[in-house]
Amino acid sequence: MSTAPADRTAPAGPVGPAPTAAERTAQRAAIRRRSPRRIVTAAGKAVGVVLVLVFSLFPFYWMLSTAVDPNPLGRGASWLPTGFTLKNFRFVLVDAGFLDYVKNSAIVALGTVLISGAIALLAAVAVARFRFRLRTQVLILVLLVQMVPLEALVIPLFLQARNLHLLNSMLGLIIVYLAFSLPFAIWNLRGFVAAVPKELEEAAYVDGANWLRMFRSILFPLVAPGLVATSVFSFITAWNEFIFALTFMQDSSKYTVGVGLRSFFTQNTANWGAVMAASTIIALPVVIFFVLVQRNLASGLTQGAVKG
Amino acid sequence: MSAATSTPKNAANATGTLERRRVPVRRRLQRGSAPWLLLAPGLVTLAVLLLWPLVRVLNLSIQDYRLRNLIRGDSNYTGLTNYREILSDPFLWGTVLPNTVGFAIVCVVLTMVVGIVVALFLNSLGTWWRSICTTAIMVAWAVPAITGTYVFVWLFDPLNGLVASTLDQLGIMEAGSWNWFANRWAFYAIATANVVYHGFPFIAVTVLAGLGTVPKELYEAAALDGAGPLSRFRSVTIPGIRPILAVCIILSTIWDFKVFTQIYLMPGGNGTNRDVMNLGVWSYSESFAQGLYGRGSAIAVLLTLLLLVISVIYMRSLMKEDEL
Repeated sequence: MSTAPADRTAPAGPVGPAPTAAERTAQRAAIRRRSPRRIVTAAGKAVGVVLVLVFSLFPFYWMLSTAVDPNPLGRGASWLPTGFTLKNFRFVLVDAGFLDYVKNSAIVALGTVLISGAIALLAAVAVARFRFRLRTQVLILVLLVQMVPLEALVIPLFLQARNLHLLNSMLGLIIVYLAFSLPFAIWNLRGFVAAVPKELEEAAYVDGANWLRMFRSILFPLVAPGLVATSVFSFITAWNEFIFALTFMQDSSKYTVGVGLRSFFTQNTANWGAVMAASTIIALPVVIFFVLVQRNLASGLTQGAVKG
Repeated sequence: MSAATSTPKNAANATGTLERRRVPVRRRLQRGSAPWLLLAPGLVTLAVLLLWPLVRVLNLSIQDYRLRNLIRGDSNYTGLTNYREILSDPFLWGTVLPNTVGFAIVCVVLTMVVGIVVALFLNSLGTWWRSICTTAIMVAWAVPAITGTYVFVWLFDPLNGLVASTLDQLGIMEAGSWNWFANRWAFYAIATANVVYHGFPFIAVTVLAGLGTVPKELYEAAALDGAGPLSRFRSVTIPGIRPILAVCIILSTIWDFKVFTQIYLMPGGNGTNRDVMNLGVWSYSESFAQGLYGRGSAIAVLLTLLLLVISVIYMRSLMKEDEL
């Protein structure tokens, strides 16, 4: 039974057009476990792959294809756009001033990334590397604060920001976003820090390094990939955030992308070509970032979940 | 060596001598104040931005706090009046709570089912196809809630959207004859599709990673004992990924209970159509549209309490696993 799966599953067969069959068979042989495989036929898998791809990508495709459609309202039930144009993008960026919103969002998101990355790394080292009293309680706290609903805090934070004259200010928004990116960043980075072998740190101590030196030369470089993944996540959180941006940024010159998007709606109608072009501008950097760091992020999440 | 020479002092007055002595350097570091120094910026930030506002929202919820109080800067305590009014409001029991709780339950169940099915499917694929599908799923995950919601609104646009046009072409329904966003059930069906679409990738990717941690020997042993695929799934896979499933259920429950953006941005969802309000939107519109900050805060407190109860229940089941 232990050697069977590799042989048995090889004929389970090509799913769609393959690059080179030999190469793929070799790759498959490298996968160890594949028990559900036997019950799923090759045809079923092909259908499954198509379903997953269509289900996952269709809304994204629909956004892109509407953005380049010269006449989105006349498109009807056609899956293909009526033509190709970039006039929606030109309208959004040049005439409607969406570029300013992009700039505002970028400043806020980068500010959030830098500050929350630094704070979270320190905290992650503390909970992953030190065994101290109340450690479990701190971890539970970090988990619990992620459960505090945003909506519950928008009122007090709005009133506080108003008193401190932080409404319509990028800094105000950055500070608020720290609250939402920090708990996840700490939780996520903790997994990456815990994955660095302790022996490396001990070796550094034996060589006479103090804690700071060890942090700079051993821990930080090894955790850097995790830091990138976490930063991307913080960036996305800040870039996508809606309710605080809506509440805090009342001056249209300070709008972030999410709030600015609403300006393409009038009372009862929407300029869907422009809305989808602007949506593409918002979504594209996020999607690219996300896909780039996917593996790091996924492994960080599970480490955060299952390792200590 | 400066850190090493300064830590013994802290170690001496910290936890005492009960701990086991293994690596001297590490022991000294593990005791003193180092972890608290590292934690300080994070904990202070969280306290200022999360705990203090929580106290403030509780304080506001027992006041009749309006725009004039905000301008004058005074307080206006009215005890539990806000809570009494809200809890005796048929609007809460007939509309808002079903919209919040029912919607969340349906979303969590559907998200988990879709996510687990997709994860099991991906796990059965070869490396190449698996990474293609994972990338596609990542795209679904990455699409921001704001733009994703607008795409769904546009897909279901009653006059020109794809769904209305397709139904029109098939002769089922004339385009523009029915505004589904005005109907509570249709509105929430679309919102459910949107939230599940946005939420299943996290479950799928996390469960997929979890499936890789189940030792394959267990499957082989189960197969030798004559277990079929279904009972192997029930007796090997599910127990193997239980901690991960628990985390997934907790997180998606919390996310789906406090859904705001996806509802607020749909036509009528920002409070203009009271039939489709959930707790989050109700709290927001009472505060920022009506200027009743006290009442809005009380609703926010109720939402938080609801989440807290769910979180505590789940946390207890998670803690039993001793995973922290």
